[in-house]
Amino acid sequence: MEGSSYQRFPKVKIRELRDDYAKFELRDTDASMANALRRVMIAEVPTIAIDLVEIEVNSSVLNDEFIAHRLGLIPLTSERAMSMRFSRDCDACDGDGQCEFCSVEFHLRAKCHSDQTLDVTSKDLYSSDHTVVPVDFSDSAAATGEALDTKGIIIVKLRRGQELRLRAIARKGIGKDHAKWSPAATVTFMYEPSIHINEDLMETLTLEEKRTWVESCPTRVFELDTVTHQVMVVDPEAYTYDDEVIKKAEAMGKAGLVDITAREDSFIFTVESTGAIKASQLILNAIDILKQKLDAVRLSDDTVEADDQFGELGAHMRGG
Amino acid sequence: MDPQPEPVSYICGDCGMENTLKQGDVIQCRECGYRILYKKRTRRIVQYEAR
Repeated sequence: MEGSSYQRFPKVKIRELRDDYAKFELRDTDASMANALRRVMIAEVPTIAIDLVEIEVNSSVLNDEFIAHRLGLIPLTSERAMSMRFSRDCDACDGDGQCEFCSVEFHLRAKCHSDQTLDVTSKDLYSSDHTVVPVDFSDSAAATGEALDTKGIIIVKLRRGQELRLRAIARKGIGKDHAKWSPAATVTFMYEPSIHINEDLMETLTLEEKRTWVESCPTRVFELDTVTHQVMVVDPEAYTYDDEVIKKAEAMGKAGLVDITAREDSFIFTVESTGAIKASQLILNAIDILKQKLDAVRLSDDTVEADDQFGELGAHMRGG
Repeated sequence: MDPQPEPVSYICGDCGMENTLKQGDVIQCRECGYRILYKKRTRRIVQYEAR
């Protein structure tokens, strides 16, 4: 533990926050930290998902395995996941769905009695625990103007006489084991660009040249002021690091017209949640998990005992 | 395995008649003589991993 300290104090500024979406700035840190946070959000924040399906009757057109797979992919509200146990670590049960600490039981019974096709949806799943239920998207459907009667996620369609009867057990898990447990739809970060226009060189351009240069940018980063005829940076974050304006400036014989660099200590994150947990909670949980992992590194003094203590993490550190 | 192999019922591919077959029986419908028979789905609960 010798050597100089590289400790920094990263800052977070939230720009936009909705239940299923977050946009924030992460400053005063480096890409390794930003990428670690991104990867933890995708693959290590736990959620609850159906993991075992016991099919009693299935006379639908989809085979048992197909239905079991579809059930697994349904997002379930997972606020409780952080305080739940992994069923493999649970010593109170054998993971059969009867245990309150590690599993939740679901029942589905559907039979079509009419000539009209019956849609079996996630709303037909009955949970044994009211805190763990299929995610309800009716609010977001109403916001986007979709039909209000569209309810739930369709699992299978039944015609007259067909029946589906099953019991499913949902367990806590992480995205690293199977993508169905990932709470993140997308997590991205970009380097904040810093864009500087060489004003002196810019003034050597004619109005028409300025206009063509501004229009050479595929995204609307620059704008030409109609009154002063000056080129201004209106939206630096719209820049996609495509180098088009730099190439254009070179082609016009005005190399160095604009200087664009990526700030290596500032990141802009966008996080989209599947609905299993709120985007804000996803970020907080990811930071908690990242801290736990760092604690494990700090505490493990290269001893076998430490490896035993942090069984899974220890194996993970060794590349297991 | 079961001590006594219980007869399994099959459905005829032609007339839909239910046939019970034992080991060594000729695969043929008793009603119409059609030689394609379909096995019925088990009445037991089957378990799958949702992966």
